[in-house]
Amino acid sequence: MYGRSSPSDRVTNSDLALRSLSFGYIGLLIVLPIIAMVARSLEGGLAALWADMTLPPAIYSLKLTISTALIMVAINVVTGTATAWVLVRYRFPGKNLMDALIDLPFAMPTIVTGIMLVAVYGPKSMIGAFFNRYGIEIMFNKPGIIIALLFVTFPFVVRAVQPVLIEMDKDMEEAARTLGASSVIIFLRVVIPSLLPSILTGAALSFSRALGEFGSIIMVAGNIPFKTQVASVYIYGEIESYNPQGALGLSVVLLLFSFVTLLVLNVLQYWSRRHEKN
Amino acid sequence: MKKGVKWILLTALFVVGIGKAVSAKTDEATLIFAAYTVPKEAYQKEIIPAFQKYWKEKTGQNVKFEESYEASGAQSRAIAAGLEADIAALSLEKDVSRLKDAGLITHDWKNNKYNGFVTNSLAVIVFRPGNPKNISGWEDLAKQDVDVIYPSPKTSGGAMWAVNAIYGAGLKMSEVKTGKKDFAYARQLLKSIQKRVKVMDKSGRLSVTTFENGIGDALVTYEDEALLRQKQGKEFPFIAPGSTILIENPIAIIDKNVNKHQTRNIAEAFLEFVHSKEAQRLYAQYGLRPVNEEVAREFAAKYPAPKYLFNINYLGGWNQVENDIYGKNGVWTKIIEELGR
Repeated sequence: MYGRSSPSDRVTNSDLALRSLSFGYIGLLIVLPIIAMVARSLEGGLAALWADMTLPPAIYSLKLTISTALIMVAINVVTGTATAWVLVRYRFPGKNLMDALIDLPFAMPTIVTGIMLVAVYGPKSMIGAFFNRYGIEIMFNKPGIIIALLFVTFPFVVRAVQPVLIEMDKDMEEAARTLGASSVIIFLRVVIPSLLPSILTGAALSFSRALGEFGSIIMVAGNIPFKTQVASVYIYGEIESYNPQGALGLSVVLLLFSFVTLLVLNVLQYWSRRHEKN
Repeated sequence: MKKGVKWILLTALFVVGIGKAVSAKTDEATLIFAAYTVPKEAYQKEIIPAFQKYWKEKTGQNVKFEESYEASGAQSRAIAAGLEADIAALSLEKDVSRLKDAGLITHDWKNNKYNGFVTNSLAVIVFRPGNPKNISGWEDLAKQDVDVIYPSPKTSGGAMWAVNAIYGAGLKMSEVKTGKKDFAYARQLLKSIQKRVKVMDKSGRLSVTTFENGIGDALVTYEDEALLRQKQGKEFPFIAPGSTILIENPIAIIDKNVNKHQTRNIAEAFLEFVHSKEAQRLYAQYGLRPVNEEVAREFAAKYPAPKYLFNINYLGGWNQVENDIYGKNGVWTKIIEELGR
């Protein structure tokens, strides 16, 4: 996808070894379990799989997962880009500390994230109690799901945008400014277009990650079917109640969503790179 | 690929080798014990040490216990998938039946004086100190200003007991009043309570945590879980409704594994021990109702019997419950769908 890796087409033995090693690794680690999952989901036949996938609580949980993930992505794109911007373009005390904090959500066990969010935003907390007075529930309702997703996916957009922003030529911005463009116009017309591919990368990665998120959501969502039960929690319930078939069915759908998202992303990137070259 | 196979075989040989080396020692035996989470304290602090002492005195042999505590369903699945437990002590009969269906248990494990059970408990309602919402029975959980907590029956044995208790109590109470089981009334009771459920955690333990975090006005849980909290010095008031379900916890030897580990004699001795008066008293101190009748009489004041107590057979046994309540067209499944509309 990224063009030929070696300048000559001569393939040495070490190239071959390296290639088969990485193919074998990806095969054993990623492809094999996925094939096993798809195969097992088809064991009962397509009709049974379809029936399991189209059960009302399954469909509801899928819709909830996708809608909360999309809201999360919309927020993440803005806050993530803004954070990267602040980190790259400004100098301020504590900048290194802030930079280090960004990856923390990756290091934290997601179940701890859930417990922590309940402690901070739950009905017993100061913030939760404040919103409760106005009849707004944060935890054990949809806002809780979105907050949990925002937390666990926060690094994706920031870390995708940051390096591009560092490398970005300021000449274009300067040129636009000399031509009399306002800061807003420069940002919208010059900065955003060059950041767009990396923003999309971050968005797609956080979307895919959100589809499968389980540990934090099961702690904060409330998990009531047809209300606050997301797909991963539904899947977990089916496994626990001895219905692996139903669980696998919905898992395949989630997997397809992630796969298509990432595929579209790769195609877009490929296309934009070719576009740039010509 | 061939290399991979070789490695797997080598690893397997290595593991088998270790297994052999361990079982060759006779002055020490190992028993793998897999249980559900609620009685963990009772086993770890009292029952297992007491058995180790008893066995040492009787045979001079040291018994080492490898213990695993997991939610009942997860534990059952783990054993079915290859966790080589010699003994399984689970929350629900159906989780043991599953091991029999999987061919791991080959004897009739229910054919003993206690029908295969080791302890009993009740489904009870925990409320806030001072009982601000005046909760005295199942009907109060259906009130508009009461938020209820119990886990998801999809993942938790505890929640199945809760739902069975509510539905069964509806049947029982209507039967007491009119002489006939009123299925519509029981369904309506369950539906109006399910409607008040605020959070459905994955396990009974997590639901207790959620309740302790200040969510909900009432929590449906095991009596022994509530008593355990009280034993820890927490304020955890609860009532056993006039009509509720008798929870019966099974224990069984896993034939395939004891044959493989050659631990049948110790496993059988352990099963006998947990039914002894000594062990039954220990359970009773940890909030579990004894199945040994003599010990049950000793603790009658601590564990009064609710007036209209029933067990799973009142609902037709586990197979029927799984179908009638939790199956694709089961009462609970349909209620969830109706409430979702």
